Amino acid sequence: MTGTTIEATALTKRYGHVTAVRDLTFSVRPGAVTGFLGPNGAGKTTTLRMILGLVTPTAGTVTIGGRPYRALDRPTSVVGAAFTPGAFHPGHTARRHLGVYAAMGGYPARRVGDLLDLLELTGAADRRIGTYSTGMRQRLALATALLGDPSVLLLDEPGNGLDPAGAAWLRALLRRLADEGRTVLVSSHVLGEVRQIADDVLVLHRGRLVAAGPWAELAGPLAVVVGTPDAPALARLLTAHALTVTPDGPHHLRVRGADAARIADLAAADGVRVHELRTEPADLERLFLDLTAEEAA
Amino acid sequence: MTRALVTAELRRLAATRLWWVGLLVAVGFGGGLTGALALTGPEHFTPPMPGLHTATGVRLVLGMLGFTAFVPAALGTLAMTTEYRYRTVDVTFLFVPARGRVVVAKLVAYTVAGLAYGATLAVTAGLGLYGGAAARGVPLGLSASVVAGLLARIGVAMAVYTVLGVAVGALLRNQILALAVVVGYLYAGETLLMIIPGVNTLYPVLPGGALSALTGFHYVADAVAQQVPTGGIRLLPPTTGALLLLGYAAVAATVAVLAPLRRDVR
Repeated sequence: MTGTTIEATALTKRYGHVTAVRDLTFSVRPGAVTGFLGPNGAGKTTTLRMILGLVTPTAGTVTIGGRPYRALDRPTSVVGAAFTPGAFHPGHTARRHLGVYAAMGGYPARRVGDLLDLLELTGAADRRIGTYSTGMRQRLALATALLGDPSVLLLDEPGNGLDPAGAAWLRALLRRLADEGRTVLVSSHVLGEVRQIADDVLVLHRGRLVAAGPWAELAGPLAVVVGTPDAPALARLLTAHALTVTPDGPHHLRVRGADAARIADLAAADGVRVHELRTEPADLERLFLDLTAEEAA
Repeated sequence: MTRALVTAELRRLAATRLWWVGLLVAVGFGGGLTGALALTGPEHFTPPMPGLHTATGVRLVLGMLGFTAFVPAALGTLAMTTEYRYRTVDVTFLFVPARGRVVVAKLVAYTVAGLAYGATLAVTAGLGLYGGAAARGVPLGLSASVVAGLLARIGVAMAVYTVLGVAVGALLRNQILALAVVVGYLYAGETLLMIIPGVNTLYPVLPGGALSALTGFHYVADAVAQQVPTGGIRLLPPTTGALLLLGYAAVAATVAVLAPLRRDVR
């Protein structure tokens, strides 16, 4: 699958006096899952709708593979999008819903059956959508988005209302789609949801982009917590090797600048006892809160 | 590609129970209403009217079908408003970013549906009329060919009203509002306008007047005429009425096609 990049340049949307999105410039790369994070009301949905040509930007541009959405020849074969809660006529069955849009997009009827299988909806395909659970609706929205086998997927809050099993299933699917070379942009106001899946993140706050890039870079270097009865000796040793060491209680050190293996090797070479080695996950919660904190009055 | 859109819209129409409702209503108003009126006989109406053995009586019974035009118009409003109501309009506009083409496809699909409704109504009304008259042993005051012509015009008028409904729905977007406007205007509003002196002289060129001209139904015009001191209100000739009605549909459809192009879908 050839990669398709989303590029936004100085994207701005004002509704009357309210600026929903201000001067956004970012790109979303293929072959990765990009998390689009921000509190409710940060402008995520407006941005997605501008990418999709549903909302016209007040200023700036956004392109998909170099062209605005509405200039794409067969847009749903390039971009698939799903909003939450899914948009369905409750009186349609899943099969008929997909049949309508397959006809609209000019896709073969067998796509409908394939997608019902892929999203594990075949058993419920002939039931009215009005009887579906939230998780089933999410999957049907995803099936609709995938009708044209698009190289770009935009999902607005796809994790909403999913139980843990459903969420894990969704993560696996998104990972697979990204690994196939697709561009996957997933919006969420729940950090934990994105943390488990996203390679890159865009963080939006009050309509502005406050952070963008790979998770690892944004979260800063990982810290390794070392448990040792010889804390002062180990601290001297590691500092001598240009690592950053901060004490963490009498028998623990927090070390940055090296991974656990290197720290263990250094300690072993010097005969310093190590009882515990633990890599701390990056403190994304903190990062997210810092980025989206209200400006001090 | 447009063909694919029309196919999709026809499928969408067939995917709910709405078409089933439409069919039942068409049979009910067509065969049911006309059959009941024919069985009763206009001479037993209050006030009494010329019977089915007269041309006027037959026209009167068939003209009553014009009052049911609000039904296909109401069904037409659902074409676009249902999309807004359930937010499927997002998905639809993603599949077809040229939004005008979506409305065009719906206009075409609903013209087909409106013609089907009209045909059902006309055929069952014909059965009701002849069945009712035969049951009472009354020979009809109009020849079969004239009756067939009138029924065909009524059928076509239903399709035009369906298109009017689609256009109004596309413009207003809100389902309840569009239904209220269409049903309110066609069912009550236009008749109420006739009470206002001066305005009532416009009746022949309003949709209802054009419909009456097309179906050769003079009852309302005659009733209005009695209130106009300057004398008669004359309906347009049937062909002109038909053209005027199509003109209304064309204008409404054009505005409906152009209107959604610029608006944001939030």
